[in-house]
Formats: sequence, structure tokens, C-alpha cells
Amino acid sequence: MLIIRPKVDLEVNVDMEITPELVKSDIETVNDFTLYYGKYEVPLNELFEVESREDESNNKKIVLEGDFSRVKWVGKGMFDGEILIKGNIGADCGAYMKGGRIVIEGNADDWLGAEMDGGEIIVKGNVENCLACPYWGNTEGMKGGKIIVEGNAGSYIGEKMMGGEIEIRGNARDFIGTEMKNGLIVIKGNCGITGGDMKGGEIRIGGKFEIVPSFRKVEEGYMGDTNVKGKGIITSIK
Amino acid sequence: MLRIKNGHVIDPRNGINEKMDIFIKNGSIVTESDCQTSNDKVIDANGKLVVAGGIDLHAHIAAKKVTSGRAMRPEEFRRVRQKTGKFRAAMGRTLLTSPAIGYEYAKMGYTTAIDPATPPLYTIHTHEELDSIPIIDKGTLPLFANWHLVFKYVAENDIERLGSLISWALERMKGYGVKLVNPGGVESWMYGKNVHQIDDQIPGFEVTVREVISSLMKANENLNLPHSIHIHCNNLGEPGNYTTTLDTLKLAGKLTNERRQVLHVTHVQFNSFSGSGWKDMGSGTEEIIKFVNKSDNVTIDMGQIIFGHATTMTSDAPFQFDLHKLVHNKWVNLDVELETGAGVVPLVYRPSTTVHSVMWAIGLEYGLLVDPDKNAVSTDYPNGGPFERYPYIMTLLLSKKFRDEEMKKAHSYIEKATILPSIDVERTLEDIIRMSRSSPARILGLNNKGHLGVGADADIAIYDINPADYSSNDYRSLLNALSRPYYTIKNGVVVSKEGEIVDSPWGKTMWVDASAKTTTEIIEPELREYFNYYTVERANYGIEEEWLRNPARIEVN
Repeated sequence: MLIIRPKVDLEVNVDMEITPELVKSDIETVNDFTLYYGKYEVPLNELFEVESREDESNNKKIVLEGDFSRVKWVGKGMFDGEILIKGNIGADCGAYMKGGRIVIEGNADDWLGAEMDGGEIIVKGNVENCLACPYWGNTEGMKGGKIIVEGNAGSYIGEKMMGGEIEIRGNARDFIGTEMKNGLIVIKGNCGITGGDMKGGEIRIGGKFEIVPSFRKVEEGYMGDTNVKGKGIITSIK
Repeated sequence: MLRIKNGHVIDPRNGINEKMDIFIKNGSIVTESDCQTSNDKVIDANGKLVVAGGIDLHAHIAAKKVTSGRAMRPEEFRRVRQKTGKFRAAMGRTLLTSPAIGYEYAKMGYTTAIDPATPPLYTIHTHEELDSIPIIDKGTLPLFANWHLVFKYVAENDIERLGSLISWALERMKGYGVKLVNPGGVESWMYGKNVHQIDDQIPGFEVTVREVISSLMKANENLNLPHSIHIHCNNLGEPGNYTTTLDTLKLAGKLTNERRQVLHVTHVQFNSFSGSGWKDMGSGTEEIIKFVNKSDNVTIDMGQIIFGHATTMTSDAPFQFDLHKLVHNKWVNLDVELETGAGVVPLVYRPSTTVHSVMWAIGLEYGLLVDPDKNAVSTDYPNGGPFERYPYIMTLLLSKKFRDEEMKKAHSYIEKATILPSIDVERTLEDIIRMSRSSPARILGLNNKGHLGVGADADIAIYDINPADYSSNDYRSLLNALSRPYYTIKNGVVVSKEGEIVDSPWGKTMWVDASAKTTTEIIEPELREYFNYYTVERANYGIEEEWLRNPARIEVN
């Protein structure tokens, strides 16, 4: 198990593309791990202190303690192991993730779980925009795995989603499941405009929501988007 | 001063295929006596191939649609090719940023590229972009075949005034030649339509496609411009379109020019489909190859596709709309407010798709069976794929073994739909040099390029291939050697060494001034009338020479 804590107050964002595979490396390699601090390349131990601790379960686990709200790309492409973040985390956390688990005890920034393909992300706080979305220009969003947000979420959730599951226990803002093709989005609270250009998949909403006019009423709720001959379903859960 | 000694020089235009030294002074090739031997820099090219720098006669390296393509495809720019340092940052997967275009050409041994389509009103933008491309020499061809003023003169059969308009427009646009894209079709697109045969009438004008092409060809020959008309035929990308291409080629008729062709059909691969629909689509190259080989006044370029990512961007707006409907990918429609139109649609060429495999085979059929003096290597970048893969195309033409390996990856449908599997031809190195150097130079009318005779520009590529001793079966080393020239020299300056950029000078922007052959006075009344209703004032139309970074005026007389 690795425990990482910030040493300095970060002035600009840091790109820290770590995955739990780092646990297998010796402490020197971890200290030398390349980060991008603004436009500079710096070794990890210049900005963070690392503690390696024996773990009886012997899992691949990284714990980030402190404020990581300016640290981006944590867990990028990870496929195994666990990352526990005891605080807030910056953008792009868990992007391209294929497996394993990320637990965030604070809030998460934009692009959480972008284009993820498997694994699990649990957020105890709130998340910002572009949750599980494809990066600009790409045609496929989240393909698999599960994201649970216990707080609120921002705009753009599950755009071009191809599979997997997103659960938001609080409220969300606009553009839920835009161009969604498959998968499931559950929002327990209220949200804004939902399902534009939806082709398939399902959205379940507990509170109030807005719908685009090109959906038609069916037995289970609304089906659409008829503009793109879509067969997506939006239902209301009580 | 620079001398390249002991290299094996292949220079088809001057009939050289032997070991000899090359002497360079002030950016040109000179004789030995003009070169002082004491303080020369010497490159030892023993056992290596020395040829002229490559010339790409058709690559969309600038213009508004390239910028729109970049804007609509952020996913293309996640590959960083070069970080800033001594040179500019370069990015892009298949669609490149302007600096990347210059660097990648130089790394590949190419030193000249022509942007084949610029909307006249927006040429100022094209030149801004060309000015951001380092190293290579470049030029741009304004679009004529859907311009109301052109239709007016064609309807009146007034070749003299049409020539005057071309001359005026080339001067205003600082253009290099006359480009025709889907003549009449893009005008029809303004009403949501297209034209399909060369005898179709263009809506709103009493002219047919045939008349537009013939008249522009005659006007171009009257002016005797360096380049002939450069045409992207009607019906591009439609099954059965090879008949339209053949009809277009036949329009050259008996018109001749002693220096060059009178009609250049570009990216001919996209215009050579047989069949009545996508299900029975096949190769329609046979008659076109026969026709081109027996005619002295027409030329083609391959328009080879490369399996993988590409971005189709043409001024053929109706075709781009059909493609968007076919592949359901994102689409930009633009330039319709100008003298032309354009569209951009991303595309992935997949070997598992029958149509794409057939297109791949068609390009190679042209490469293998058309006289190399009438053909040029091209991918219609970025339509058919990245220009960086020219070495791959050349190796496919050089090595039957490599072709067989690559053919296994393509769909087996090509065995019945194309003749590629039955072709045993292997091109020689000299043929490849013709198709990438001497032939495009002749087609474009670039006298100082594409050869290594005395007086030529010192644009030189040195490859790690020994022409006296190479095996076409060892295709891996051929591909490596062609992809990474030992040296690329631009105007006597070493710009790239073993695939690394070492210097980055600015190339020229070539433009053609035909004012000596005609006068614009005869079209003054029409121009005045035209600008009464036009988007911009006449004073703001066009580009002044001093606005260009490094203009090179080519005078026609």
C-alpha cells in the first residue's frame, strides 16, 4: 500500500497518471515517477511525499491523503487494484479505466470516469461536469463499469454512453444521456434537460426533469429521441 | 556550397541512372567547374540513392476546409509529434497542423506540395496557412468550375474573356492553376441537387458540364499556363462512375501542348468504380488505363487510399453530403456562400469492408499499369489517408511480395471485383522516382523541379538504398529506407537527416502571372457589374504579393 500526501501548495494543475500498478515498484521508482507540473516535468517526490506501508491483505492499493483538487488524471487507464482518495480530486480521474476501484471521499472535478470501460468509481461528495463522457470528438462514451455519486452532479452526464451504469443519489443539472446508445443512468433527485438525441438505453429519474419535445409517451414512460429514430426509455421512479 | 559525392543518381528527366557527383551553389545545381572545391561541404552518398526532392501535386494542406476539418476533429490532435524547442510544435494523427505538414514532408524526402483547392474569396486564408508551413515550396489552385462569371462566359462561348478572367483571378488569388471540382455539381448543390452526366445542364445557366470543362481547358491552353486544368470529375464516389471519368478524359480530344498534358484528372481512384450499386461495386480501371496509356494529352494521379483513419474534405459539397448520409459520421458543409462549396466528413477505411478493399486495389492498379510518366503518387491527403504513407505505396508498387502480404489483410472480394491479384508487375526504382518526382513536375509545369540537371533547384533526397544492389523481396528495408531518407536537402540546405529535422527554412509560394497573354480590360464591365452585388468591395478582393511570406512569381509568356 502506498500513501501519498502533498508537500507543497500546488500553484497550477499537476498531471499525475498513476495507477495501482505503481505499488509493485520499489520506493525509488515511485519517488522518480514523472509528473507534469504546469509546463515542467518533475519527479513525484518534489511535490508529494510517499509512504510505503505493509498491508496484510496485500492488495494493490494507493491512498491519497489531503487536497488533490489540482491533481489530474489519477487512475488513468487502471485495470486492477484500488485507489482511495481521502479528500477532493481533480479532473479526468479514472479516465479510460478498465477495472479496479476508485473511492473518492470528497468531491470530484470534471471528466470523472471519462470513456471508462469497466471497474467501479464511488464518490461520497459531489462531481462536476462531463461525468463519464467521451472526450471532445470521440464517438463512444462510457462502455462499461459503474459510477456511484452520493452527492450532486453537474451538466453532461453519460454522453454517447455505450454501456455500464451511472447512479446519482442527489440532483444533476442539464444534458443527461445525450446521444446515449446503451446502458443505464439513474438519478434519484431532480435534473434538467434529459435524453436529447438518445438512441437507446435507459434513464430513470426520481425527481423532476425536463424532456425534449421529440419523445413520445409509452407505457413505461417516454421513448425517443424520434429525431434520430431512437428507442431510448426515460422513466420516472418514485 | 555543397557537394554530394559518389551517390547513385536517378534522374529520369535527364536520362541519368548512374554513379555521379552533384554540385550545389546558391540553392541551385551547378556544374563542377562552378563549384570551388576548397571549402565545400561534402556529403558522402556512396552506396546510396540520390534523387530530386519529391513533389506532391495534390494534397489539401491549406484552405478553409482544412481548418474546419481540424476544428471538427479534436480527436485527431491528441498525438504530439514534436514538442516546442528549436522548432515549432507539431501535432496530429492523420490530420496535421501546418508546421507538422512541412516537417513530415521533409522527413519523407518531399520538398514541394500543391494545395489543390481554394475558394477564391477565401484564398487569403489559404495563403495565411501556406505561410505557416515550413520548409516546402507550395502553391494553391483556385476553384473555377462553379463560378457564376465562368458560367456566363461559357454560355457566351467567349474563350477570350474566360482566359482574361482566369488570368485576373490567378493574379488576385496568387494562384498556381485552374482547378475544377464536380463542374456544375456544386452550383446545383446550392439548390440541394447534383449533376450526374457531363451532358447535364447546370440549373440556372444555359450550359452543360461538358461545355464548362472544354471551355476552361481551351482558355487554359490559350494562356499556356504552366499547369493544365486539374479536374475532380463529376460523380465521385458513385458506383459505375468510371464512364463519367472516361467521358471527361475524352474531352481532351485533339488538343495538345508540347510541354505537358492538357487535362489532369486527379485522385482518379475515387472515380473508377464499376457496378450499379455498393453490392456489386468493382474496379472500372481497365478502359481508363487503356485510354490514358494511349493518349499523350491526359495525365492522372492515383488517389490511393490507406487503411485506417482519414478525413474526407473536398469542394464537392453534394458528394460530402451523400457520404455523411452513408456513413453517419459528423459533417461540415461550408464555402457555399463563396464561388464554390465544400464538405468535410471523417472516415475510417477498413480492410474488412468490401468497398474500401476495392478502392485500395483500384489505386494500386493505376500505380502498376499506367505509364509512370502520366501518373503521380497521391493519397489526395487527407481524403485517402496521410501523405506520410507514400513510402508504403511506393513499396507496394516495388514489391510483389509485399503486395501479396498486404492483400491478405484486405477483403477476399477483391479477387473477383478487381484485377489486382492477377498483376505481377513490379515497378522499378526509376518508375517510382518518375511517379513522385519527374512526372508531377512535368504535370505541374515546374521546370526547375523534379530533376537534378544543371540549373534545377537543389531540392534533393538521399535514400539508403543501393539501386545497383537491392531486392524487392526485402520489402521491410525498402519501406524503412523510403520512409526515412538519409538526407533531405531543400534549396541547398540540409533540412532533415535520418528522419530528424535539423533546419527549418521557409519555402516559396509559387503563383502564376499570365497578364502578358491577355488584358483584363475586356472583362471590366462584367467585373464592375459583379462587384455591385458581391460580398466584398472589389478593392478588398484578392491578395497583394507583399502580403505573402515568400512569393515566387512565375511569368507566362
